[in-house]
Amino acid sequence: MTDFGYEQFRAEVAAWMSEHLRGEFEPLRNCGGIGDPAYVPRLAKRWEQELARGGWVGIGWPREHGGRALPLSQQVVFHEEYVRAGGPGRLGHIGETLLAPTLMAFGTPEQQRRFLPGILAGTEYWAQGYSEPNAGSDLANVQTRARIEGDHWIVDGQKTWTSWAHESDWIFVVARCEPGSQRHHGLVMLLVPLRQPGVTIRPIRQITGASEFNEVFFDGARTEASLALGAPGEGWKVAMALLGFERGVSTLGQQAGFEREMACLVEVARRNGASRDPVLRQRIAQAAVTLDALRCNALRVLAQDHEERSGVPVSREAYIAKYVWSNWRRDFGRLAADVLGAAACLTDDGDPLAQTLRQVWLFSRSDTIYAGSNEIQLNLIAERALGMPR
Amino acid sequence: MDLRLTEEQRQIADSVEQLLAHASDSARMRRAAFEGGGFDAALWSQVAELGACGLHLPEVHGGLGLGVTELVLVAEAFGRRLACVPWLESVVLAGTAILAIDDAAVAARWLPPLASGEQICTLDLGLLAGAPLEVRREGTGWRVDGVLPAVPAALAAHRLLLPVQDGQDPLLLAVALDAAGIQRRARENQDATRPLVEVSLQGVCIAAADCLARGAAVERAVAFARQTGAVVLASELVGAAQQCLDLTVAYLGQRVQFGKPLATFQALKHRCAHMMVAVELARSAVLGAAREFDERPGEVRRLRLATMARCLADDAAQYCTQEAIQLHGGVGFTWEFDPHLYFKRAQAARSLLGVATEWRERLAATLLDEVAA
Repeated sequence: MTDFGYEQFRAEVAAWMSEHLRGEFEPLRNCGGIGDPAYVPRLAKRWEQELARGGWVGIGWPREHGGRALPLSQQVVFHEEYVRAGGPGRLGHIGETLLAPTLMAFGTPEQQRRFLPGILAGTEYWAQGYSEPNAGSDLANVQTRARIEGDHWIVDGQKTWTSWAHESDWIFVVARCEPGSQRHHGLVMLLVPLRQPGVTIRPIRQITGASEFNEVFFDGARTEASLALGAPGEGWKVAMALLGFERGVSTLGQQAGFEREMACLVEVARRNGASRDPVLRQRIAQAAVTLDALRCNALRVLAQDHEERSGVPVSREAYIAKYVWSNWRRDFGRLAADVLGAAACLTDDGDPLAQTLRQVWLFSRSDTIYAGSNEIQLNLIAERALGMPR
Repeated sequence: MDLRLTEEQRQIADSVEQLLAHASDSARMRRAAFEGGGFDAALWSQVAELGACGLHLPEVHGGLGLGVTELVLVAEAFGRRLACVPWLESVVLAGTAILAIDDAAVAARWLPPLASGEQICTLDLGLLAGAPLEVRREGTGWRVDGVLPAVPAALAAHRLLLPVQDGQDPLLLAVALDAAGIQRRARENQDATRPLVEVSLQGVCIAAADCLARGAAVERAVAFARQTGAVVLASELVGAAQQCLDLTVAYLGQRVQFGKPLATFQALKHRCAHMMVAVELARSAVLGAAREFDERPGEVRRLRLATMARCLADDAAQYCTQEAIQLHGGVGFTWEFDPHLYFKRAQAARSLLGVATEWRERLAATLLDEVAA
């Protein structure tokens, strides 16, 4: 594999990881993060701070905001080595990869100075306040209300499916600031502190039995008048731009995680004899090459990003990316359960490999739902990539 | 791995696509397929003039010295237009096999006429193979008897690269297809765009000089050609699947039912979206495999890459060609509309270089059976 000439950087990341992912952080090694019961948020936050001290947070950010301005290809190398070394799922990625670029694009200098350092240092964590009980796939149906009262915004309403709200300090909220406005008009993106009397966070128990998602209730919650991100009334534009920042870089880190899961499956199949079943052999081989193809697709997206200037439409391979990885993983989850056999449902065997596969089996059900469900992805592909009429 | 394409690579792909969009449009392609025995000699000359026959062959032998990446870029256009030329057979399969023999004298003799397109070669892929050929020594050469039931492009071709066994000794022979004792019969073929030919050999004499390789080099060269061929064939299938998607989206946009274009119905939009997902993932697989082939990976890695491209393109072609027929409705079942041509090509391609289940099983063996070193 050509490496863009980053062999030295690769070695640097690997060396740092082996030096630092040890001692108190040992329990986090290979932790999936979201969905993994072994993941201890308090420790994960200290790990984020360790990464920050090492200069590994915001590596793609511009220097003026404290980043290292590394090119995409080099960021990919970091993500790959991070996962290869057993680095745990990241708690800070909502702030680092979603909010921060949006702050840089739409935020005031005061907002940038106030929030970027906390993200960069791993000391302030962010949650995403988009979905509501009646605004899921139909996000423009947001009903949460915001009004100015004196020098504060007052927020009333409810958000849901809010990952890690109970471990976060702030939330960015899409709310309706113009009473009577419809759809994507009259919205505002607000930065709201989570720890205040007007906010109630209630965990949602998932099919895994664990809870990372929450309902977040706003009942006269307050935030400073200066904490609208972008102009009030233009919240939709900001909200969509934020989603657009989630480009291919982190998917290659995710890819390395999938490869780890694949290796785990192969190991279990060899051990329990599933590897002798001719049909499972076919499915395992198909899963392996499809996973390879996901990597090729992600690299194609990145190659495009290298060349793209702003304003260039999203490439076709980028349109399919979410759909293909999430469906691969969901299929892989079923395959994992079939390889486990009876052990798919028996959670008390104390086998860490089997436990990883059981987690994937259940957690992967959510991959095709969150961040734009399968059905929404297919709409986007048909209407935007294929140009079919709405 | 860097999947960016260079300006030169884009130009190569564009020049072939532009040629074929015109010279192998539906009407011309059908004429070549149904009236020309599946070979368009004029088109072959034009393809050769563009340099497409020497893409990955060394410059010292008249080629362009490029790689598998350029082959797949061009192959997509060949597949999209079902171009009736033996490019895959001659350039990709035979050319790669000769390259892989890695013998300077062999390359110097056989590659220049391939690279220029003056000579067309094909490689026996053992399709429908029955009894093995009888091979006997005669003088310094060999005498070959037997029947090859289905050899691609063997009517258009001048030479057939034929892997045989002389007792325990594997040989790769270059058989002149107009030699005494050879009879060729075009098979009736649903995929008229890729003709298959029965080749009977009765006491055909092969001179020692026409033996390109012996021993382990034969299997190595043929395996290398088949793996490279699988990646390039996969790209052809991506082109075919893409054309089916484009035809379908266009048709749904113009066909009005219930007072509006069919393209406005979500059920149908999702079907097209599924087609695009399959096409783009397969295209990514093909580009990734080709790029890594150019970095000369080892045997196990090559198998994995070829399996990836082969399997995903097979799925995409099966799915998209079938959906194109279905979504065209009644006219999708007519001879007049093109989807059936792609449907047949996709099916024929499935067994051309080994079916996907074989590739997957070989890969599974490397994943699941080998004892860790």
